[in-house]
Amino acid sequence: MRYEKLILGGLSLIVMLAAWWVVTARGIVSEFLLPSPSAVFEALMRLSGGYMGSSLLTHLKASMSVVLSGYGAAVLIGVPLGILMAWARPVDIIFGPLVSILRPIPPPAWIPLAILWFGIDLTGKTFVVFVSAITPCLISAYVGIKNVPPDLISAARTLGASNVALLFQVAIPSALPQIVSGMRIALGSAWATIVAAELVVATSGFGFLIMSGYRNFEANIMAVGMIAIAIIGFAMNALFLEIEKYAIPWRDHE
Amino acid sequence: MSESGFDPKRPVFSRLPQPLLTGLGVGGWVLLWWAIVIVFDVSPDFLPTPWQVAEKLISLTTHPIGEGSLWVHAGWSSLRFLSGFLLAAAIGIPLGLLMGYIRPVRHLFNPLFELFRYIPPIAWAPFSILWFGASFGSQTFVIFTAALPPMLMSAYLGIRLVDPGLINAARTLGAGSTTILFKVGLPAALPQVVAGLRMGLANGWLALVGAEIIAGPGVLTGLGYLILVGQQNLQATLTIGAMVLIGIIGALFDYGIRRVEDKVARWK
Amino acid sequence: MVFAGNRGAEPTVAVDKFSFEVKESEFLVIVGPSGCGKSTVLSMTGGLTTPTAGQIYLGAELIRRPGPDKAIVFQNFSLFPWKTVTENIEFGLCLNGVDKAERQRRIGYYIPLIGLQGFENHYPKQLSGGMQQRVAIARSLVLRPRVLLLDEPFAALDAQNRTVMQEELVRVWSEHKPTVVFVTHSVEEAVFLADRIVVMTRRPGRIKEVVNVRETTGEQHWRAIPLDQVMRRNDFQDLRGRIWGLLRNEIVVA
Repeated sequence: MRYEKLILGGLSLIVMLAAWWVVTARGIVSEFLLPSPSAVFEALMRLSGGYMGSSLLTHLKASMSVVLSGYGAAVLIGVPLGILMAWARPVDIIFGPLVSILRPIPPPAWIPLAILWFGIDLTGKTFVVFVSAITPCLISAYVGIKNVPPDLISAARTLGASNVALLFQVAIPSALPQIVSGMRIALGSAWATIVAAELVVATSGFGFLIMSGYRNFEANIMAVGMIAIAIIGFAMNALFLEIEKYAIPWRDHE
Repeated sequence: MSESGFDPKRPVFSRLPQPLLTGLGVGGWVLLWWAIVIVFDVSPDFLPTPWQVAEKLISLTTHPIGEGSLWVHAGWSSLRFLSGFLLAAAIGIPLGLLMGYIRPVRHLFNPLFELFRYIPPIAWAPFSILWFGASFGSQTFVIFTAALPPMLMSAYLGIRLVDPGLINAARTLGAGSTTILFKVGLPAALPQVVAGLRMGLANGWLALVGAEIIAGPGVLTGLGYLILVGQQNLQATLTIGAMVLIGIIGALFDYGIRRVEDKVARWK
Repeated sequence: MVFAGNRGAEPTVAVDKFSFEVKESEFLVIVGPSGCGKSTVLSMTGGLTTPTAGQIYLGAELIRRPGPDKAIVFQNFSLFPWKTVTENIEFGLCLNGVDKAERQRRIGYYIPLIGLQGFENHYPKQLSGGMQQRVAIARSLVLRPRVLLLDEPFAALDAQNRTVMQEELVRVWSEHKPTVVFVTHSVEEAVFLADRIVVMTRRPGRIKEVVNVRETTGEQHWRAIPLDQVMRRNDFQDLRGRIWGLLRNEIVVA
């Protein structure tokens, strides 16, 4: 019983890897469709040296700088706006409809328009990343403030809190866990969006790497691109979870 | 959005009914858009007026672009979306329920999902095109990978979070484990399952648009194709028109699921 | 005072023709059936809600808004989850501009008084229900309120903790004897703690009778004696029976 999780989990991973290896090594599936594990490893080695003029690190930097500027702007605008919308009804009445109009449009749909408006350079991609990240930031801040327990507000008022103190010392700290987890989701969304944008048009970045692998019939390069994207996505998420633990010590973390 | 419970200042206009307020707000933003275009004399190839976008959409219903009129593109997009979405539901929900109910199944499948969890669904698009060709199948696959995880997770959590008291009560009444799954677990988990459908819908719709855009002009149908054609021909009117259409159709699908949600959660 | 609420479709009159006076340093308990509006009375006294008609005065001052001179202790503790024990107690002092030396002096006094030495830096989640309510009581008392309002403060505790907390409250209260208005649905609690008991009718809540407990206890109030000993006294049981008799007809069978 104690080892069931480990054994069954390990079993399924081993079976999958073995199936991948057998299917590719025996040539049941063409190398062009699914690269073998060794081909992927070989591509990884080749890429760390440099591929089409840039190493993995260059691609990482290219994707990351766009993500961080677009995401940073989304946090700086989305979180305060969401808080204000939840706190002050006039702000909600004015900006609520704008959110309702723009929210149903999926972030990838903005990619061509961004190219049209800003060209294929970094500005366009930063804009799309911004669009994809602002919604989760704004919504989670809004919901977090709306869900502040009314009792806490009452308690603070009886202790003599002014409206400003209520917002900054009660509502925002109370909403903080939700705000931070919204920021984490936004980062994941920003990452997925930059990958999408690079798949459509780019000269560097992991999405571009996958696309150039696709164009040159090198499925192993594509696989390396996807693995790199997954690892970075995982790392960003894990980092954020650590930050949450540190920044919100009053919360139970499983 | 709902009213703040502790807002001391309530201006007069806040006493208007909410739908009217939202309508006024939406109208206000559209007018602002319009005003900006006119005041700054923006070229329609960069940012058209709302009226020009509406005109474009209306003319699209009779003047085809690519392989058909607006109805053809909207129809193809919806069809691709539904095939990926329904496939994900047909596999994700039963698997999620089983993973929640039978421990070995959980331990067997969990690591696989953990492994693929951090790959954004859209990143599957190139491989998908490689495997299935730039066609219906490749887009269905991308939508499937996007819609599956939330549906599976919700079904799984729905079963895991069933009140153990309910299960024990059923057991003392003499129910077997199959009966418990179908007569207790499933109804109790249903609201979660439907919530998962709604999340899967949003993810799938997003992935559809991404897949259609990434597939490029190799496929001559779909709303993503219209967006792309607009960009390549420097016709912002077409691009924005197609975006509006995507927003509206996505919102309609969401509305449909919400109706189901309300029905399912009646006893809650 | 009168309070007509607006919950749900139909406005309901929660409290009607309700008038009472509390003397300085008096321990007044309001007891009534569920939903009779006793919490509404307390909330109006604390300034959190305004009566539809009528006035409430604290001394010569009309109560218009909540404030530290009429601090409330809530049934569900309403501690700020992101603040430690010390920070929770200190919060009201900070809001009211008490300087640091004085804050530390008062905290140094109250933490041992409520028996929470060693828990100063714990978060509310890490404390038991009884301990949380001690913190909530200290958080109000530390402000030196003119009147301390308690809204079913022990209703969320189990029966054993409840008894302990009733005795603890008496001990802490005896230090400075602020005026207390205490709302409960427990007859036993009311008879044990009160100088006078206001018995309410069912909704719309009115005063059914005001019972002077002092007439039974005499100069030496029984709340200074442990509850289990008081329970054995005939005069206690008689008074308890009398209050219960007043309430019995008011309890609506749902």
